[in-house]
Amino acid sequence: MTESTTATPTACPSCGVGVPAGARFCESCGAQIGPAAAPLAPPTMTPSDDLGDAPISAPTRRPVDALPDPLPDPGRRPCGNCGGEVGPDLYCLACGTKAPSERDHFREAPSSWVGGVCDKGVKKSRNEDAMALLAGEQPGSRAVLVVLDGVSNLVDSDVASLAGARAAREVLRTPLPAGMGTPQGRDAAVTKVLADAAAAAQNAIVAITDPDEPNPASATFTVAVLEGTRISHGQIGDSRAYWFPDDGPGVQLTVDDSIAQQQISEGIAKEVAETGEFAHAITKWLGRDSQDFVPSVGFLDITGPGWLLACSDGLWNYASEPAALAAQIAAARATDPVGIALELVAFANAAGGHDNITAALARVGPLPEAPAVPPPPPPVQNAPDPIAPSPAEPPTGQTQAPGEGAPTDG
Amino acid sequence: MAEFTTAVFQNEFLPDGGTDVNAIVTISCQGAGTAGQGGSGDAGEIIIVDTSGSMGPATMAAAKDAAQAALSEIVDGTWFAVVAGADRAMLAYPLVTAGPALVQMNEQTRQEASAAIGRFVGSGGTAISTWLDLAGQIFASVPQVTQRHALLLTDGENRERPGRLDEAINRATGYYQCDCRGAGTDWQVAEIRRIAQALLGTVDIIPRPDEMRAQFQEIMRASMARGVADAKLRVWTPQGAQVLFVRQVAPTLEDLTDRGVAVNPLTRDFPTGAWADESRDYHIGVRVAAKAIGQEQLAARVQLALGDNVVTQGLVKATWSNNSELTTRIDKQVAHYTGQTELAAAIQEGLAAKAAGDEATATTKLGRAVQLAAATGNEEATSKLRKVVDVDNEAEGTVRLKRAVDKADEMALDTASTKTTRVRKG
Repeated sequence: MTESTTATPTACPSCGVGVPAGARFCESCGAQIGPAAAPLAPPTMTPSDDLGDAPISAPTRRPVDALPDPLPDPGRRPCGNCGGEVGPDLYCLACGTKAPSERDHFREAPSSWVGGVCDKGVKKSRNEDAMALLAGEQPGSRAVLVVLDGVSNLVDSDVASLAGARAAREVLRTPLPAGMGTPQGRDAAVTKVLADAAAAAQNAIVAITDPDEPNPASATFTVAVLEGTRISHGQIGDSRAYWFPDDGPGVQLTVDDSIAQQQISEGIAKEVAETGEFAHAITKWLGRDSQDFVPSVGFLDITGPGWLLACSDGLWNYASEPAALAAQIAAARATDPVGIALELVAFANAAGGHDNITAALARVGPLPEAPAVPPPPPPVQNAPDPIAPSPAEPPTGQTQAPGEGAPTDG
Repeated sequence: MAEFTTAVFQNEFLPDGGTDVNAIVTISCQGAGTAGQGGSGDAGEIIIVDTSGSMGPATMAAAKDAAQAALSEIVDGTWFAVVAGADRAMLAYPLVTAGPALVQMNEQTRQEASAAIGRFVGSGGTAISTWLDLAGQIFASVPQVTQRHALLLTDGENRERPGRLDEAINRATGYYQCDCRGAGTDWQVAEIRRIAQALLGTVDIIPRPDEMRAQFQEIMRASMARGVADAKLRVWTPQGAQVLFVRQVAPTLEDLTDRGVAVNPLTRDFPTGAWADESRDYHIGVRVAAKAIGQEQLAARVQLALGDNVVTQGLVKATWSNNSELTTRIDKQVAHYTGQTELAAAIQEGLAAKAAGDEATATTKLGRAVQLAAATGNEEATSKLRKVVDVDNEAEGTVRLKRAVDKADEMALDTASTKTTRVRKG
């Protein structure tokens, strides 16, 4: 508890508190120590003289196609509780609310049409979810959404999930391969790349795991890649990808590897299975004790504008049905991906926030129009208005600026 | 350059609905240097000696000797003056009637001042308000003196119309610091303590003339070691919170609660005066709005500010928990100083009751004091209490008032009531 002006050689660059050698995050303020990315294990490549099970068509890694990392989140955000300025000690200067550390709440907005929020939630003591995004500048060109959900209460699951997410992103930095040109060839080549991404995440997680740790870190893995009109997705565990077209019903793209999903396929009602005792027991995961880290892969060709969402169960627990999630997106006051993701996170936190929450979105087609300033509340009426605006109406009639009004988790 | 560090001792865990946060904040200073040599202004010293007619020959001789000894502790280059106090105050040195009333210490001025002190003759009454006011005027005559300290010796009760002394204290408060000493037993502890507390100084009794020299030397040495001129304890509390109290609890007990000056709506500055290489403990009580279980928030930022420059900060936190093992724990430091605060009050109230002839209250209060002094390991208080009461049972706090008590012992107990002991940290 002593705060001194003297800095030690192994001091947190953000708050100055000493940190043990090799630490990745500051125990005090949560700032990341050292280089931004955890050691990135490139996907293992077979030597060129031994084709083995290498893809028939290896991705052509043209640097010009490689997407840049999202810009680092600028500075300290306003207090999530009162909107006040947050001090260098990471407490609000007005209300004293503790600001979440960068690990407990972070946002990525690689482009105006792609963004996400990864948040600790209310009940958990740390954020074991992770997210890594990429996007081309041109709307609708190319987006990569990676979401990993570190399994609760395992050692370093928070560090592992972030390392895994960033390692997978590294593999997906260049465009997906087109294979031999046939649809089958292309799907096989993409499947291989998504498997490489999962393998890279797996390697990164294993790399930070103590070999003697009896409870090794583990995580789910969900990746959704949008290229033009095609969504490719890979899945291990129970994080999810959804597609919400503007002019039709939404669909859940991924299928959970969970006890609940097994029960559903055996005929048990979805609501029963997903709230049952083993609802969150997953049957596949990444980690040193993983038996199978080959993702289930799927494709969807889309025909019109809409939202692609990748999320962790911290969100879908409160809105599992595509229609329920679509309704939350439609009700959002924000029109940009990060703004909508913030509102999805706020929705989950308001519903209890029992788990970490990640929501990453990519927009296909133009961003929706900003809603008109809502009319002043109608005079008091006796009969309820059947077409009343959404319940979450802005109190002041002002649309909220993006980046503000972050959910707080104390 | 002085370096400050802060440590916070508290139990940050509050039960569901809990609102009151207690913390002990320890602020330590190292490398303070010497008064007036930190580059932020010069230091000034004024020695004020009671020269009223009540000063007996032995006391007067000792006072002269002590004041002369104090002169030799004043570092060369320090601005100084000597005041003789009776029913009015007289500038005894330097011998000027206008212009700057402080001179810089060197071998010559020291000898001249020493000679001026040697000519003191006791006569007249005691009007301490005039002494304080003259000291203020003397300091004001040399604007580059920014660190101002006075040493005041009296031997008798103030003889002025009620209120006049308080007005003078108010004029001096925040302008200069003053350590006060009472010679013999004919002075009023409460009266002189009021001066010392307002002027961020110490108060003590010098029962015998032969102890005066050492006391003066020690006071002046301590003052010269205060190389940090004027520091403020800056306390920030969140919107809607209430500062219950701010007390210095070590090395002495000083309630600062009502002395805060608003810096902004959420921040108040409390005076702490000049600092030497030392460590002081502050007990802060803050009431915040209760939050949900699991929420954490800052209850106070406690800083030390030199001018507008914050040199150290400690964070007082609140975390709501439903784990009663966490929430029922009372921090050792907080418990200790809560006891020391009650001890001081019990001694002062007990002695006041005794003086008013209320033996029942005196016996209860002093009994409680004996119990608290033992429980908190305050040996000085214990030994001084035992000169005033006979102890039947220390743990129970059952005592009998001694029939014959040396007045000096009673006054020593009174002046020592605000001296606290520390607990081992860690």
